[in-house]
Amino acid sequence: MDERGEDVAAGNGARDPVVTVSSLTKRYGGLVAVEELTFSLYPGTVTGFLGPNGAGKTTTLRLLLGLAEPTAGEALVFGLRYRALADPAHRIGAVLESSDFHPGRSGRDHLRALALAAEIPSGRVEEVLKLVELDEAAGRRVKTYSLGMRQRLGLAAALLGDPELLVLDEPANGLDPAGVQWLRRFLRWFAERGRTVLVSSHMLAETAQTIDQVVIIDHGCLVASGGLDDLTEGGRTLEDVFLELTGGAS
Amino acid sequence: MRALARAELLKQHSTRTTLGLFAAMIGLVLLAVLLHSFGLPTADLASSSRQLMVLGRGEFLGALFAALLGAMSITAEIRHGTIRPTFLVTPGRGRVVAAKVWVSILIGAGFGLAAGAVAAAAGTAALQARGIDLQLNRGDYVVLVAGSAAAAALWAAIGVGVGALVRNQVPTLIGICAWLLFVEGLLAGDAGGLGDVGRFLPGAAAAAISGQGPGTLVAPAVGIALLTLYAAVAALAGSLAISRRDVG
Repeated sequence: MDERGEDVAAGNGARDPVVTVSSLTKRYGGLVAVEELTFSLYPGTVTGFLGPNGAGKTTTLRLLLGLAEPTAGEALVFGLRYRALADPAHRIGAVLESSDFHPGRSGRDHLRALALAAEIPSGRVEEVLKLVELDEAAGRRVKTYSLGMRQRLGLAAALLGDPELLVLDEPANGLDPAGVQWLRRFLRWFAERGRTVLVSSHMLAETAQTIDQVVIIDHGCLVASGGLDDLTEGGRTLEDVFLELTGGAS
Repeated sequence: MRALARAELLKQHSTRTTLGLFAAMIGLVLLAVLLHSFGLPTADLASSSRQLMVLGRGEFLGALFAALLGAMSITAEIRHGTIRPTFLVTPGRGRVVAAKVWVSILIGAGFGLAAGAVAAAAGTAALQARGIDLQLNRGDYVVLVAGSAAAAALWAAIGVGVGALVRNQVPTLIGICAWLLFVEGLLAGDAGGLGDVGRFLPGAAAAAISGQGPGTLVAPAVGIALLTLYAAVAALAGSLAISRRDVG
């Protein structure tokens, strides 16, 4: 635990942030989805992006990834707006929904189309298929895949460009215990190579085993951010802290 | 742009949608042409303009199905959510729409060529079987088939533009069908009151490209110019709209 804390501190001091969200606000008509949200992510960290359903997690990720435009403030990746990045697939991999596939297309063709668009050699498609252990099912149409297989196919797509930052929205949904363990090991391995992960989740006990940094939002506003160890000091669990901060404590 | 076009081409041939649309189109072409050729009284099929009308069903259905194909290249991505990974890899959304336009033009031309050729062959064989004198020369056939390819190619681009504007798949496809099957005819007909202006509408321009309605429709070359203009406006409007709106 101490080692991890030092890594984060070193990251904070020595390197530029990978993600900089500042005063980010998104309104849909009168509805405020995200308000004045500010946080940064540093290289080599795995950050849990936590909040109750409807807190604005997915909206924040969509703003960060250039799929939606903020009403005010900004969300930068590597110092730039996502849509200003020259070659985003090689810098950021993201999975927003577990169902973003054409049901009638094979897993391999899904990846090949993305690889062609990103000018990634087709050999890399086979590499990521092996990495997520989908190489045998890759020729089948996605409609025959289980939810866990779709999650892994989404992850494979995110990894095509060998990115420096992974952004995952609820990646453990639909994974069996072996899949959850595999994902946990994978994310730690990914971060230990100096890369960065932002993972949203509501599975707090599971998430606590993977992350070292926490950003908690509620009703679109930041309620806490910092090192997991600092937040849970005094023997409290992440769940205790979360429920207390988001007003869900019983 | 080459890389994006290759990606779009792979998307088109890695599902059964394109083949399904193609098969449906050929089936309807045969049905329409054979029904007209065998069903109408011989007197109604004697003139060259009537024969062009019957064989021109290929152009009409080619354009319609090419438009559906172009529209689905974008609305299917929105419906299934693949638009998210697509735009994550290529945040320049205008480039994605442009690649879809070029690939749809290419496949749409193939659709139109096949529809035009099948209609010409089936219609000619049917008319000959009934002993009706063919009033069409080789030049008419060339314009009919090549014009069908050009009309379908340009309507495919219109389809992409409309799909990018409307985004929701079902209203897009119904809108395209309704326009080509009913709305344009109503506007140009007696009730619509557009009268002569009706020949400048996009469906009429497509028919003109394949040499139909000489005297009533515009010349084929004018038809191409008009339909190219419609295609450019639709593609540009769709590209601008999808670049500005949030992706759900």
